[in-house]
Amino acid sequence: MASTVKYLRVPPNSASLEEARRRVFDFFKTACRSIPTIMEIYTIDDVVTPSQLRSIVASEIRKNAHISNPKVIDMLLFKGTEELNNIVEHSKQRHHILGQYVLGRPEITPDSATKDQGSEYLKNFFRSNYF
Amino acid sequence: MASVTASSVKFSSVSCLIKQNQLSNLKKASLSFTGNGFQSRRLPVLRFRVACAAKPETVMKVVDIVRKQLALPEDRDVCGESKFSVLGADSLDTVEIVMGLEEEFGICVEEESAQSISTVQEAADLIEELLEKK
Repeated sequence: MASTVKYLRVPPNSASLEEARRRVFDFFKTACRSIPTIMEIYTIDDVVTPSQLRSIVASEIRKNAHISNPKVIDMLLFKGTEELNNIVEHSKQRHHILGQYVLGRPEITPDSATKDQGSEYLKNFFRSNYF
Repeated sequence: MASVTASSVKFSSVSCLIKQNQLSNLKKASLSFTGNGFQSRRLPVLRFRVACAAKPETVMKVVDIVRKQLALPEDRDVCGESKFSVLGADSLDTVEIVMGLEEEFGICVEEESAQSISTVQEAADLIEELLEKK
């Protein structure tokens, strides 16, 4: 698992957006390549498939796709790598992984959580205070 | 005999043709690598396989993975020549597709080769190359 200890010494900032983009892709590839390990450690084979995990990682990266400052991207990558390291070295537990990444995504758990609550009023009520 | 001629013209290299020991064939094939006119009786399928080096099954698998990844509807035609950007994939999608192919075929794509992939056909060719090297 040499690829996961990359950031013990913090690398210099990315010189340009292009280099930051390359680092993002490297991070994504490292994450994808550690997916089989993760599935084995936390025994989530019956809950998600590797390709679903890949799309979860991609959607997390895409949440910050609008950032254009290379330093901010470096910081986000640092946090991402730290999170990946924590997961791979089994510092987390199964319910952390499932709760943070798997559940609540409409593609993976097709809305079994929201049962038919009743009226439109109640739906709005459960969603927020102001409607 | 037909299979020998088929393989020799597919690789389109003169060294393979020498195996046939027939000067007439040598002259015919060297004049026109894609000369289907002379040999169309014996090699009817060559017409479709002039430029691609990847097997059709590989291309089909790649197309499947691409379709699933980009959630394309069935009527959107994905062939060997479609570029990923045309199909609506941004760069992260392309990397994800490459990772999906890595998992599917059990290969490991190098950094530089991954950057240069822009169409479905190139991806299939790269996969074939890596599968052969294994």
